[in-house]
Amino acid sequence: MARHGWCFGLLWMLGACGPSAGTDVPLPPDAGEAAPDAAAPTPAPPLEPGPAAMVRLTRAQYQHVIADVFGPDVVVPGPLEPDVALDGLWAIGAGSSTISPRGVEGYEAAAFAIAEQVAAAPAPGVLPCGLGQPGCVEAALPVLGHRLWRRPLTADEQAAVLAIARDATAELGSPRDGLTFGLAALLQSPWFLFRPTLGATDGPTRPVTDAEYATRLAFFLWDSTPSAGLLAAAEAGDLARPSGRRAWVEALLDDPRAARGVRAFFNDYLKLRELDALTKDPAVFARYSPELGPMAREETLATLAWLVLDVEGDYRAAFTDQTTFLNRKLAALYGVPAPAAEGFARADLPADGPRAGLLGQASFLAQHAHPVSSSATLRGRFIRETLLCGTIPAPPADVDTSLPEPSGDLPTLRDRVAVHMTAPSCAGCHQVMDPIGLGLEQFDGLGRFRETENDTPIDASGALDGVPFADARGLGEAIAAHPKLTACLTRKLYSYALGRAPTVGEAGELVRLEAAFAASGYRVKALLAAIALSDGLRTIAVPGED
Amino acid sequence: MLIRTPRPHRRAILRGLLGGAAVTVALPFLEVFTDGRAHAADGGFPKRFGLFFWGNGMQPDRWTPPDMGAGYRLSEQLAPLGDLSAHVSVVTGTHVTVPNDAPHGAGPAGLLSGSRLVTRAGGDTHATPTIDQVIARAIGTTTRFASIETAAQAHPKAMSFNGPDNTNPPEWVPARLFERLFGGGFVAPGEERVVDPRVRLRRSVLDAVLADGNRLRAQVGRVDRARLEQHFEGIRALEHRLAALEADPPNLAACARPGAPPADFPPDEAGRYPLQAVSRAMGELLVMALACDQTRVFTHVFTDPVNNVLFPGASAGHHQLTHDEPGDQPEVAAIMQQVVTEYAWFVDALRAVPEGDETLLDHCVLLGTSDVSLGRTHSLEDYPLLLAGSACGALRAGVHYRSPAAESASKVMLSVLRALDLRVAEWGVDTARVTDGLSAIEA
Repeated sequence: MARHGWCFGLLWMLGACGPSAGTDVPLPPDAGEAAPDAAAPTPAPPLEPGPAAMVRLTRAQYQHVIADVFGPDVVVPGPLEPDVALDGLWAIGAGSSTISPRGVEGYEAAAFAIAEQVAAAPAPGVLPCGLGQPGCVEAALPVLGHRLWRRPLTADEQAAVLAIARDATAELGSPRDGLTFGLAALLQSPWFLFRPTLGATDGPTRPVTDAEYATRLAFFLWDSTPSAGLLAAAEAGDLARPSGRRAWVEALLDDPRAARGVRAFFNDYLKLRELDALTKDPAVFARYSPELGPMAREETLATLAWLVLDVEGDYRAAFTDQTTFLNRKLAALYGVPAPAAEGFARADLPADGPRAGLLGQASFLAQHAHPVSSSATLRGRFIRETLLCGTIPAPPADVDTSLPEPSGDLPTLRDRVAVHMTAPSCAGCHQVMDPIGLGLEQFDGLGRFRETENDTPIDASGALDGVPFADARGLGEAIAAHPKLTACLTRKLYSYALGRAPTVGEAGELVRLEAAFAASGYRVKALLAAIALSDGLRTIAVPGED
Repeated sequence: MLIRTPRPHRRAILRGLLGGAAVTVALPFLEVFTDGRAHAADGGFPKRFGLFFWGNGMQPDRWTPPDMGAGYRLSEQLAPLGDLSAHVSVVTGTHVTVPNDAPHGAGPAGLLSGSRLVTRAGGDTHATPTIDQVIARAIGTTTRFASIETAAQAHPKAMSFNGPDNTNPPEWVPARLFERLFGGGFVAPGEERVVDPRVRLRRSVLDAVLADGNRLRAQVGRVDRARLEQHFEGIRALEHRLAALEADPPNLAACARPGAPPADFPPDEAGRYPLQAVSRAMGELLVMALACDQTRVFTHVFTDPVNNVLFPGASAGHHQLTHDEPGDQPEVAAIMQQVVTEYAWFVDALRAVPEGDETLLDHCVLLGTSDVSLGRTHSLEDYPLLLAGSACGALRAGVHYRSPAAESASKVMLSVLRALDLRVAEWGVDTARVTDGLSAIEA
């Protein structure tokens, strides 16, 4: 969404962005603004639980669940209902969007395709019996339903699905058909496609059930459904005790599937999901090809999974580290030695080179740019809004937004955007975006390093909220040290876990989580555990009906 | 939306016996009635509605025809219509009358939904359904698909809304649309219909899913109940589609199973996305879907709002050019001619299908519009509105009407609804609400 180059005259008059560079952009009013840097001795207020979002499975979650329950060889046909972002996250969109008529059609086709594959050649252990054995369909469907719906089926529900299976067996002639139709019914149910959190008791605030908690944990940490073991442990009461919860959260985070969960979060948070649609003009960027977007995403996700889970490093180092994961195409784009083999391999960028951290990666540099050029505004906006959780209002309509063309007097983008930085009608908002983005101007619209634009040296110096920097690496250090960076991640990860934005009553919870994050040395793995164990994940509010 | 009347038998419809299928739409309540003419128009052919949407607006001074009325001369940007202008009415000078508080978002919500955009951080939505869905609820109840949504642009945005946070995502791969429309289950005229016993079983599965859903519905709050009801609507629509597979297919002379489009569309010679080729492949399938009465309503997103598509010959993405190109923006003007060329392609393709003594185009309304008027300023004034076809003579085709008094563009929407025989008293809410159509375009 190329929102570049707007003048914000009206907003400046209203002071929405603040008239000067370097001011903090406030978090939204519901955001738990109380950051730990306030150094106030007053304790954070206790948790007032928020409502439970009834979250729809994302496309990726649907595929992960099918792979986990039926085996990795089962093919899920597309297209499934598209994911939609709200408050910047698919995870929040999944908590408020619904299923369109086209989506119903896609889920029906997927359900039958999956069910036919499972019935034809079930992976070992998927069915509790051989399909040729009498009564196997009747035995298998309740077991599969329990796993897919993340709770045991009621007697009525079992009877309904078994009736379908009997009908199909009689009509089409084989138990395989019965299993196919019964399984297709389970897979199309809103009990499968949504994750309802109804709570364990009545009343306006209530604890979630242990099975619901297990479900929240698994989708948060694995981007998938609970394993049979976790679900059984929940039903046996293991999660009712703090020690049981801690043990399970540690086990989930130490499982290989945690990498899938970490990748799913950063794919959503950093908008890497949009890289599938990355389009550049091949006449301008000879190194562009349609695979570049997905490759650039893989670089970033591999780097973050490594940092979070393999070395359990400090999140802030993600903006300064020179360790990354490259394939040959990305290495060529960056002008560094290619890995010895095909595919991605760990690489350490030259210590004296211009490139470090996430902001030196093509996933960021190419995505937040135009099809033919870079964009200081788009890059600055992403840093301000996504990494630092600032708000930049949508630009007003009915303003002329054009930038001057490059010319002898205005050779570089910094010269051209000067009009937005100095004209009072524009500066209010552009001052909080463009100076940051100009720090990255030594990377072109695809992410290649350059020292000049139109034969003129590029000046990449600037300041981020009062902290000066000389170039992109300095900007990365300023972002790593920015007080909003870690509070922003905390807020986004909490939102992601719950499928909704935090409420005012959760401000204190966010403060406590941010403090736990700080105490861990800003290890994301520790923050994941803190959120997984927080009361916010285990209690819900159920407001009365209007 | 609940369709409260049972599905009438197709033959009953063709005899024109359906009187007033009452439907409700989510938020606000809007009673929509049709009379029999919607389904059995003059000569027995149904009326159809299509929306051709493109992003980033146009340039009013290069768009507006120089004179008014029938036989208007073409402007620079409408020149690609050529002789087809006899079938295309142009409305200029109307405004989309909602607050212009979200560039590129306020316009589609205000025009197509008749309501102010619901603006939220990181995810806007429409408060009310878009006009295509209001129409589909009235005239799309008897066909296999109530509506079809497509796009030429890759990874498109949805422009069709059932209600808040509920869109109809467009298909952008022609081969997938072909499979959906003309793959398993489609019976062309003259082909023998074989009823697969699985179809009945699939319907009983959907019945069970609805029963499960109702148990869940009873346990959740108001907002989630509404989300589930929308899900159930889609399930009922699929049941209806399966029932249509078991019924006799419509036997329309112009219907033939089209050839399958290629699986992939390679980039053009400059390495850019082949927008025109994909748009036309979609168009061929959509036109045949209408001719075969598989649907009567479609929305084709040629390009998204805010799209940065690299058009052939352009030096930058479309959206960037609308803002950054200096002067009178000749590159933007050249892109607009390409957009109108593709709208004209649809008009021509509809006109190429004979229906009785007329053509499919005569039984259609093909609305062409965008997300803003002048892209550079995100204006909602002097909005681009094209109307091809006459909806069986209910609209005047081939006239240019320029509003002398900045009337609301909602009036055009109300005229379209009435031309399609929806008996509606009004269109739009708050500042976008109107109770009169635009008589200058009504026959």
